Amino acid sequence: MPPDSGLPHVRPARSRREFLQRAGGGFGALAFSYLLGLDGLGTPAGAAAAAPPTNPLAPRPPRFPARAKSVIWLFMEGGPSHVDLFDPKPELDRVAGQPLPASFGRPITSMGTGRNALMPSRRKWERHGESGLWVSDWYPQVAQHADDLCVIRSCWADGLNHVGSVCQMNTGDILAGRPALGAWTTYGLGSENSNLPAFVILTDASEVLGGPKNWSSGFLPAGYQGTAFRNDRTPIYHLAPPPGVGPEQQRGKLDLLANLNRQFNAAHPDDTELAARLNSYELAYRMQAAAPEAVDLAGETPATKKLYGLEEPQTEKFGANCLLARRLVERGVRFVQCYSGSGSGWDAHTDLEGNHSKYCRQTDQPIAGLLTDLKARGLLDTTLVIWGGEFGRTPFNEKGTGRDHNPWGFSVWMAGGGVRAGTVVGATDELGLRAVHEPVHVHDLHATILHLMGLDHERLTYLHNGRQERPTINSGNPVWSALA
Amino acid sequence: MKSRILRWSLAWTAALLLPAAAPARPAEVAADPHSHWAFQPLGRVAPPPPAPAGANPVDAFVLAELRPRGLELSPPADRRTLLRRVTLDLTGIPPTPEELADFLADSAPDAFARVVDRLLSSPRYGERWARHWLDLARYADSEGFKADETRPNAWRYRDYVIDAFNRDVPYDRFVREQIAGDELWPESPAAHVATGFNRHYPDESNARLLPRRRQEILNDLTDTVGSVFLGLTYECCRCHDHKYEPLTQRDYYRLQAFFAHTAAQDDTPLLPPAELRAYETKLAVWRERSRPIREAMDALLAPRRHELEKDYFDKYPDETRAILNKPAAERTPYEQQMAAKAAQYLDPASHQYVAPLKDVLARLKPAQRAKWDELQARLDELAPLHPGELPLGACMMDLGPVAPPTYVLNRGILESPGEEVEPGLFSLLWPAAVPARPPEGQATTGRRSALAAALTDPANPLVPRVMVNRLWQHHFGRGLAATPSDLGLHGEPPTHPALLDWLAGEFVRSGWSLKQMHRLILASRTYQQGGDYRASAAAVDPANHWLWHFPRQRLEGEAIRDSALAVAGRLNSRMGGPGIFPALPTGMPAPRGGWAVEREAAERDRRSIYIFVRRNARYPMFDAFDQPDAHESCPRRNVTTSPIQALTLLNDRLTLNWAQALAGRVLAAPGAADAAATAGRAFEFALGRPPDAAESATLQQFLTDQGRRIAARQARGETLALPTPLPTGTDPVAAAALVDVCHTLLNANEFVYAP
Repeated sequence: MPPDSGLPHVRPARSRREFLQRAGGGFGALAFSYLLGLDGLGTPAGAAAAAPPTNPLAPRPPRFPARAKSVIWLFMEGGPSHVDLFDPKPELDRVAGQPLPASFGRPITSMGTGRNALMPSRRKWERHGESGLWVSDWYPQVAQHADDLCVIRSCWADGLNHVGSVCQMNTGDILAGRPALGAWTTYGLGSENSNLPAFVILTDASEVLGGPKNWSSGFLPAGYQGTAFRNDRTPIYHLAPPPGVGPEQQRGKLDLLANLNRQFNAAHPDDTELAARLNSYELAYRMQAAAPEAVDLAGETPATKKLYGLEEPQTEKFGANCLLARRLVERGVRFVQCYSGSGSGWDAHTDLEGNHSKYCRQTDQPIAGLLTDLKARGLLDTTLVIWGGEFGRTPFNEKGTGRDHNPWGFSVWMAGGGVRAGTVVGATDELGLRAVHEPVHVHDLHATILHLMGLDHERLTYLHNGRQERPTINSGNPVWSALA
Repeated sequence: MKSRILRWSLAWTAALLLPAAAPARPAEVAADPHSHWAFQPLGRVAPPPPAPAGANPVDAFVLAELRPRGLELSPPADRRTLLRRVTLDLTGIPPTPEELADFLADSAPDAFARVVDRLLSSPRYGERWARHWLDLARYADSEGFKADETRPNAWRYRDYVIDAFNRDVPYDRFVREQIAGDELWPESPAAHVATGFNRHYPDESNARLLPRRRQEILNDLTDTVGSVFLGLTYECCRCHDHKYEPLTQRDYYRLQAFFAHTAAQDDTPLLPPAELRAYETKLAVWRERSRPIREAMDALLAPRRHELEKDYFDKYPDETRAILNKPAAERTPYEQQMAAKAAQYLDPASHQYVAPLKDVLARLKPAQRAKWDELQARLDELAPLHPGELPLGACMMDLGPVAPPTYVLNRGILESPGEEVEPGLFSLLWPAAVPARPPEGQATTGRRSALAAALTDPANPLVPRVMVNRLWQHHFGRGLAATPSDLGLHGEPPTHPALLDWLAGEFVRSGWSLKQMHRLILASRTYQQGGDYRASAAAVDPANHWLWHFPRQRLEGEAIRDSALAVAGRLNSRMGGPGIFPALPTGMPAPRGGWAVEREAAERDRRSIYIFVRRNARYPMFDAFDQPDAHESCPRRNVTTSPIQALTLLNDRLTLNWAQALAGRVLAAPGAADAAATAGRAFEFALGRPPDAAESATLQQFLTDQGRRIAARQARGETLALPTPLPTGTDPVAAAALVDVCHTLLNANEFVYAP
């Protein structure tokens, strides 16, 4: 890590002397005293008051001017079919029914469909907006925002299957264990709102495949991990003290707790989990004040609710998450992920028509509403909206009515904060199987997102097991043509 | 396709399909699978010299890795820490003050060994360690999928596992019972219940394509058995040969073939033969006497039942209906499979019957209903003759002696069968098919008995390695090989391969005794060393791979709850029985499938392992603390830290109630003097040690300050959270401050980490 990076990197003490110096405070205590200061509360007995403020989630300036302050990542889990949504392939319709031409080789797919006949897209395609961007009739409302989108048609990834691919889209690697991009981002930039988690995960169905590893802090200090909200009616339970406990009384308990924890943690200065746990109580405390308001959609106007599709059963769930994402971003939350079809809903191995009709219907209005709303509030300029899955789907059929996983070429679009709107980047081959022009690997995509946030993916590093680890592992470049 | 880690995809994709401009990825080097450590026969491994006098061999292995790196074990943990560590580790609850006093007063050299023996013979041990096994068994009390209906007898398997751990059933027997208990010990109810291991697949009661549903279940069994017992990622070769492991697609279906004729048997009577005969004799009498009444009742219900059945039946495809319409005797084994699956929903005796009595009664006309009530009243008069409810198990059995054929499914697709295969294990080690023949006098294939024998053959190099590695993982937080259900070429190689092999050998030689292995490991200096940070060692080995200190472990949600209940004096130690339903967070709707909170308060305070496991709605406190999803086997839990956890422990009414009970217990303890001494006692109850001088000062200051805040609340007429019970004459303000001390202690890092 470069010494001037300003990153809150905490390394274990290297000498007895250093240990003793830090034992009274350490990572957690420093953070804690900072947080106390923030809340205007007194320092409890024994707290290390003299320590400099190195709250790991304190907002930090980006390395270079940021175009986006926040990210809303609309994650279509299971793999949406690019050749039926944003990447029209007339040639595919023409050769439909035939096998993949020999010149394409025979791709090895997860379900071994590489010899299957090519399946045409049943969609109606139109150009939209001044940009003339192609969007299929599965996304009529999103299409109205064509001039806001930058569709990268040449994405590619390493994994063939969901767990690894979802993991890579989140962490850069198909093997679990690395920090999620949201964790890197909050590591690099901190949070603009110390009363809410900096990195929030919203789901709409069952568990994301691979679970919390997808929002893990990996080897970064544990405090950077994402916080998953519940997806029943209440995003967060226990936001108020139980009956019989007053607010000032609770504050007193938290001070006692911090004091006891700090004494305990001092013997283990190497353990960021303990420090993270201490911080999590302070965050929890502040969330009590901030979160009920942040997650309460009741105060939104009927027009806004309608905009996000909250009045219709099909769009209600994802729409509520999109609206919640806007509210969080509005309040300074750095990184929000909204999963559609969490638990691999978009995975249309059979009945692509039925599956994608359903999920497009569930997401079209909410996404369009989100873009409209962000723009109306002046938030789109500073919010990077990302849409995509962990991969796309094959041009050949699976079981006659479905499409298999396609990590070799698929579409992801971005909108808002610093993105070159109304453009297409890259291309797949004439059948949509592989990215052939300006291929954008997941690492490139991550480098781009970080760049828009004002972070250099090569200099955002963390020393782990002797290596300066970076979000993009060992490759990746920002997609310059996607930037405004 | 929702499968787990399929690591091979990276290199395969990279090799074949990279776009030209792609960044290069490091190539993966395939080792010779024959020389892979986990596949080698278990030889006799001697502990490395020089073993210090009287040293535990475990330490010799650990020191052999530490010393060349200039590292040493940490000094021994102090006795309080050690007792807390081992008590939490073996029983999932902290030691009582009495246990602590006894241990501190016991200076005999074997004091710790006797503590270990005491803990291992406590029923709490089985409740603790069974939970680890249930994670592997993807145990749940409900079906999953959309409806997530209750499985009424799944809990018997949970109780079986607890009992097996407590009785130290030899692991080879434990494996055999779970794989083939019905075939091997047909007269033992426990052995039948054990087969529930393979009954814990999620299931969809509304599935119409029975062949596909069956295949999905078979895939679940194959994946689970392959990972849990063999430590191999079988699921990767469902569709093609494994790209990294020496597993072939054929191997996948060879393993699957062992289960080809299995089916759920949720109405397995759980009585020994003699008792069952007596039961049936009694029942026959009741049946005879009640026959006219029951026939009249059936006649009333039959038309309505028929409607519901037909509605369900008609939704099956033609082929399935044709099978179901065939006389049972004419069905092929494969057709028997289809019929058995459908019978789960169409057999009136099944708990999943599509026309349950309450639905049928609701369809009766008033006059019919009156008639039915009258018949029921007459039937009730015969109740004294009825032998009572027969205990039933949710088990797995074969449907007959001849299994349907098993085919390699091309690309994993059911409709694309290839070569037919015989049952077998993975061919690198076991090239031949594993012969199976139906046991005498039983209508079963004998295939699973053959599998059980192959798994527990002492020459099997994987099964003992996998299990001792799991034991090590639960004692130290991380296995010697860190990927406990993947000891294959692409699992993490073990840090201490010789130690792992030596332990595996000892395990087999000890007669597969888990308790012996616990004793062996816990007797080591490695286990008993301190956990403190040492800068010099951390500089060499920051991740503690070489075990220069004991690694602290965050307790699981279950253990946090049990520990809090225990120190609060509220833990109800009643064992066994159907899953219980504690209160849900305020405002949380009951999940689909139901959550009827226990009426009796004491029932809500039973150990966490008895809490009902609804697949689609984990108990929120456990969900927050990383309880795994019960849809698939979980070898190692996540450990996350989140503000949601903090909010749960801070604001859930239950946690406060536990604190109130702890405060009540502290006040009731003899010798409670002033407030500070009382707070100090709370400290001892919760953390097993008195506060040091700084902490005492902190507590003293807190009681003063908090007392002032509480007094102000009292003056405003606000309700206080008081100790339960509150001794008469106690100052409520001071008492409420004590509750706050207790509540804080239950939230402390020291409380939720095993030291």
